[in-house]
Amino acid sequence: MILINIDSLSTTELQYIAQQERLEDWQTLDREELIDALEEAFGEQDDEVYSAQKGKIHRNRFCNSLTDYRGDKQNLSDLPGVEPLPETYLDTSIHLLLRDPQWAYAYWSISPDSRQMVFGEDGQAPSSLFLRVQETRIESGEVLSFDISVDREDTQWNINLPNMGSSYLVDLCWRDRKGNEMSLAQSKRVETYPAYWQKHSGELADNYASFLSNFASLVTKEGEIVDNPVIRDLAQQLCKGVL
Amino acid sequence: MSNPSVAFILNAHLPFVRHPEYPRFLEEDWLFESISESYLPMLRMFNRLVHDKIQFKMTISLSPTLCCMLTDPVLKERFLEYLERHIELGEKEVLRCTKEQPEFLEMARFYLDQARENLNDFQDRYRGNILEGFKALENSGHLELATTAATHAYLPLYKDYPTAINAQIELGVQSFLTTFGHLPKGFWLPECGYYPGLEESLKYHGISWFQTASQSMLLSPDKVEYGTYRPVQCPNGVAAFPRDFQTTSLVWSNASGYPTDRNYREFYRDIGYDLPMEYIKPYIHEPSLRVFTGYKYWAITGQTNQKVPYRRDLAQKRVADHAKNFLYNVHKKTKTLEGALDKNPVFTLGYDAELFGHWWFEGIDWLEQVFRQNAEHEQQASFVSPSTFLAKERDTLQTVRPAFSSWGQGGYSAVWLDGSNAWTYRHIHKAIERMEELAVRFNDQISLKQRFLNQAAREVLLSMASDWPFILFNKSSTEYAQKRIGDHLKNFNVVYGNMCKNAVNTEWLVKAEKRDILFSDIDYNIFNPER
Repeated sequence: MILINIDSLSTTELQYIAQQERLEDWQTLDREELIDALEEAFGEQDDEVYSAQKGKIHRNRFCNSLTDYRGDKQNLSDLPGVEPLPETYLDTSIHLLLRDPQWAYAYWSISPDSRQMVFGEDGQAPSSLFLRVQETRIESGEVLSFDISVDREDTQWNINLPNMGSSYLVDLCWRDRKGNEMSLAQSKRVETYPAYWQKHSGELADNYASFLSNFASLVTKEGEIVDNPVIRDLAQQLCKGVL
Repeated sequence: MSNPSVAFILNAHLPFVRHPEYPRFLEEDWLFESISESYLPMLRMFNRLVHDKIQFKMTISLSPTLCCMLTDPVLKERFLEYLERHIELGEKEVLRCTKEQPEFLEMARFYLDQARENLNDFQDRYRGNILEGFKALENSGHLELATTAATHAYLPLYKDYPTAINAQIELGVQSFLTTFGHLPKGFWLPECGYYPGLEESLKYHGISWFQTASQSMLLSPDKVEYGTYRPVQCPNGVAAFPRDFQTTSLVWSNASGYPTDRNYREFYRDIGYDLPMEYIKPYIHEPSLRVFTGYKYWAITGQTNQKVPYRRDLAQKRVADHAKNFLYNVHKKTKTLEGALDKNPVFTLGYDAELFGHWWFEGIDWLEQVFRQNAEHEQQASFVSPSTFLAKERDTLQTVRPAFSSWGQGGYSAVWLDGSNAWTYRHIHKAIERMEELAVRFNDQISLKQRFLNQAAREVLLSMASDWPFILFNKSSTEYAQKRIGDHLKNFNVVYGNMCKNAVNTEWLVKAEKRDILFSDIDYNIFNPER
């Protein structure tokens, strides 16, 4: 998809999009006001991603639409016998997806039976739910863990992974009024591997041939480093080494 | 050190969008614009090079969903109607520009000529099947054709579901075999999404190589000798070709990439939005939905709406300059690397095919110029495909474990797993689990139940397409993407619910099969984990 380069749109286009987005007073707004209003409507300003995206006008796959002008879900008809998707499923399970080496996304569901076990038949038992994140260091085999409290209505969580070079799994746990802890479900493991050059950044800094073939290739002519948090950290390490 | 090698790998892919239940459907234009602005002009460019005996070699991955749409009679008929509308608009534009805006007349004529050429090529040269054009260029040794995942799923987020990974790869390979008559050697990883171990499934299906994101080498747990300047082989022998970020960025960079040149055509200014409704209405969508028509007359000019009219002569001059600059950079980089590498560098460049022609209007001319100028160069770069390279140099590859990576923002899975789209995985994963359950419980069914289960497998695969979470992330056509994901999952649940009652909803089945015509020979047992 091509991201919208809003500065390049004509005022007519901006007015058209504003109309489709049902912005009030779209006919009376000037160009700058239209851009501001549209940016706000798309909710991009609050998005941490926004600043990184704003300049990206020609990326990835293409799409011919400037905005979501269809605006009517019913326009695409359902087939016969189709029912709405459930919000959750009637089993007890937890899944862990690796987003990047520093973050994972967990989602879970709790069956009615499990829910009754945890919160009692009347749902009033003062039990609590929490996620127990278990980290196993790949090299040493050392096992660490930490807990994250979640509400009974929660069904998903973004989990910060403290170290690269570890595998992680998550237990969906509950604690009863006496403090007893039990696991309801356990996820599969996700692994993060340490990069060789992270551990040997000195070698990279000292050996020009290695630096040239491995690191310099990830920097544009203008000095822009490939978009990656681990490589940014490595760049900082290299800067410190050089300075 | 002798000359560098350059491997251009293009990914031609569009999600499966086909709605014969509507007289015209907005999102089907994605396909029609790609054919008329990228695929057909690209084939003409290749054929010009062949005619002029200019040496070139490129690799193109054609996704199974795209191949299915390109050979579908309904969409082919609609593409002809699209072209006819385009020609009619062009004829009107030539008259209008002659009278009212002569500064745009040259481009109006250009677009009209291109539309007529497209019609001629599509009908007469390729008899409605442009895949024949790619096949012919593969036969003549100019292209290597590759496949990709069945519905272009972003594979790292399905790592816990080996049957789904296998189904995506197996059907990608099968579809290629059906379309092109032989097995593919290369596999384009959708979104360059790689996770350690993925190569095992690729090897199982006979794949020799795949491409990876640039950082897959620097972040490897192994000491990589050549960075992104040489392909490597995974421990199981499958080769990985890392994109060279620096060379790729000559085109790809937002700040300074060639397509940002002020003389090039502005993508976003289109008469579909700029001209009065009463004039443009027959060429946009009902009811009065303004869309791109492809008739664009302005140059990029700068970050302003005060654009200057596009001048093709100026743009073509810049195309030549940029081709020269590209080759200069390849040679300069090769020279810089002489002391660092003991082997010739290989510059792997991977792009979406639709970047060329559709988005970057001059992109196809640039590719042509790169090949033509290289042919005249004293010190020529060698254009290779991964397979031709491996045929000669497989023994020289370092064995390396590439790192988890993608070409998306941040370099991992953040684009396909963020607040806008994370909700989908709860449902898609459940559908995969249930599909596995159905395949075990009802293995080797025949007749109606077999068709019912095959359709369920199609629905699961279609829900996995990377396009939908990508659209949700980018907030472009979100309603449609949400609807599509939801529809496939709800359709799957129809089968699951009925099969649990040992029943078949035949009305649903007939309509679903009619709508989703892809993977006609799919076997749902592919989801059986015990298979």
